[in-house]
Amino acid sequence: MRRLRGLAIFLGVALAFSFFWFGEGKAQETIKIGFFAPITGPAAADGMSAKNAVELGVKEVNEAGGIKGKKVELIVYDDRLKAEEAVAIANKLIEKDKVVGVVSGSYSGPTRVTAPIFQKAGMPMVAGYAVHPDVTWDPVQKKPNDFIFRNGFLGEVEGAAAAEFAVKNLKAKKISIISMDNDFGRAISAGFAARAEKLGSTILTKQMYKFPGEKDFRPYLTRIKEGNPDVIFAAGYYNEAASIVRQAKELGIKSQILGEEGFDSPKFLEIAGSSAEGVIIATNLDRDDPRPLVQNFLKNFKKTYGEDADMVGASSYDAFMILVKAIEKAGTDPKAIQKALMETKNYNGLTGKISRFVQGEVVKPVQIQVVKGGKFRRMAVIDNPEVITPPLKQ
Amino acid sequence: MLWQQLANGIAIGSVYALISLGLTMVYGILKILHVAHAGIYALGAYIGLFSFRLVGDFWVSLFIGMAGSALTGYLVERFLYAPLLHLPRIAPLIVSIGLFTAMEEAFRIVAGPHTIAYNATVGLGDLSIGPFRLTETQILILLVTFGTLIFLWTFLTKSRTGLAMRACAQDAETTSSFGVNVKAIIAVNFLIGSAMAGAAGVLIGVYDNQVWPTMGSIPAYKALAIVVLGGLGNIPGTVLASIIVGLVETFFIGVLAIPFPRDAVAFVAMILVLMFRPYGLLGKA
Repeated sequence: MRRLRGLAIFLGVALAFSFFWFGEGKAQETIKIGFFAPITGPAAADGMSAKNAVELGVKEVNEAGGIKGKKVELIVYDDRLKAEEAVAIANKLIEKDKVVGVVSGSYSGPTRVTAPIFQKAGMPMVAGYAVHPDVTWDPVQKKPNDFIFRNGFLGEVEGAAAAEFAVKNLKAKKISIISMDNDFGRAISAGFAARAEKLGSTILTKQMYKFPGEKDFRPYLTRIKEGNPDVIFAAGYYNEAASIVRQAKELGIKSQILGEEGFDSPKFLEIAGSSAEGVIIATNLDRDDPRPLVQNFLKNFKKTYGEDADMVGASSYDAFMILVKAIEKAGTDPKAIQKALMETKNYNGLTGKISRFVQGEVVKPVQIQVVKGGKFRRMAVIDNPEVITPPLKQ
Repeated sequence: MLWQQLANGIAIGSVYALISLGLTMVYGILKILHVAHAGIYALGAYIGLFSFRLVGDFWVSLFIGMAGSALTGYLVERFLYAPLLHLPRIAPLIVSIGLFTAMEEAFRIVAGPHTIAYNATVGLGDLSIGPFRLTETQILILLVTFGTLIFLWTFLTKSRTGLAMRACAQDAETTSSFGVNVKAIIAVNFLIGSAMAGAAGVLIGVYDNQVWPTMGSIPAYKALAIVVLGGLGNIPGTVLASIIVGLVETFFIGVLAIPFPRDAVAFVAMILVLMFRPYGLLGKA
């Protein structure tokens, strides 16, 4: 027993040293980029999708010869959708892994707590799809986190774009809102309600449900049914979204259901089944975008992982590529990378053409997709600058 | 729309009843708080789901889910609770909590962290009267629950085993001295209670069309509150309390539109009952 323990300690120490060794050796030849996502836990489907997509991007960059001849090395961490994990990860990426930039493939909760850490360390981060305003904004000092950039839409912007579509294209006069009670749900439904009311529609009911935990939406939907709205705007992630869509159909509700990027997952289509047909969402990815960039990504993703790519994956891929472009332009000094990111102009992204970043917020069209034949297809694009330009924070 | 909300409330309340009955029966006879009962409920959903994928028939999967849960409940009693009965009741409670946590982790490891769809067609069809609609899954829940309740009532009042079970709940020692095999009675108790929890798991699986590893965590404490509300060990009280909690939750959300957290209703009711009727809704002082 004693001998075994001695051996175990020896092996452990040897292993620790070997990591040290290889880590040091590799640092000279590769460019390290940090990445975190909820790979396990309640958002595992999204976390895996983000990780898979970014790894596809790494492969593409390296196969094309890397960045100025140096290979990209992705340092992947699992935040399990926990803010406290994310804090530890951020510190590790800065102190131990010594990355040159970071990509967040995670939700608002974990991304938001890492933002001040990266900001303080002067480490550029591009967030794939986290929606909370405080990712790019320091609410205490009331100034932008100028090292943090976001490829996804602000909740308010996406909500406003959905409202624009509901009122202008669907001609909705009466609208009911059902939304999950968290940062994302509140922001997106507030953006939706403000725009819809501005355009002259009436909001019949506004309901919030507990997230996570709510599964039985019949009481909410029965109340909505009473008002017989033209459109139901539903904010939630794929599990809740699937339940809402299914239960609405069961209850015989005929109103058009309009969702957002939380619906944008193969899991939504799987759980909602045939009830998903005809559901419209505002999102970040247009599957019917004819640009070869998009079609090749969709094809490669399907070929590599055996399932369809979603918004989360495409957005994280974009975030990674935006960072890579900046490193190509500016080298590996974080401050220079940040400057290059700030100067991003008309970047041809997978999730649309990014005209620029305003206070770290992306400016690009919002995609409206509809479920047809069990797949998300293009329906419309919202590019009204009044809607898609993020409001200045102050 | 009041009728629709009534249907929504009774449906969810019926599922609460199926889960809580087993809990109250176990408490009645062993005085153990069987927290792992919610794990048995989730297990029933998983067994039902996977057997549905194998055989493709909902009713068969419901039966297998119930049978699997019943067997597991029996094994839990036989190998985890029975050896601890001579200890203070806190010991089996700790075991029960530990088992529940272990079960949730086991579901996650075996079936994955994702929510899985229970895409079964039951074959009953909806019932529509004007705007009112009793959905297929609501009809299913009502059928299974009321079928089970009628069975339970007949069993407890008409059969000798049922009579022995009620006697055991009042005084196990005296019952044993009349030649009743108390161990067998306890086993039957666990079999029936766990089968009902398994049925509830399968029903929620198709009602929400979702089965997920932590699906037992809310029922674990909500059923506890309902059982206290109904009067610990009191079977009709538990059924009444379940339906009331289901209805009140539904009406708070759907009619009064009070943004009151749904899962708190059972606890507020429990606190009120403990203050004014500590022996439960139908219990006697």
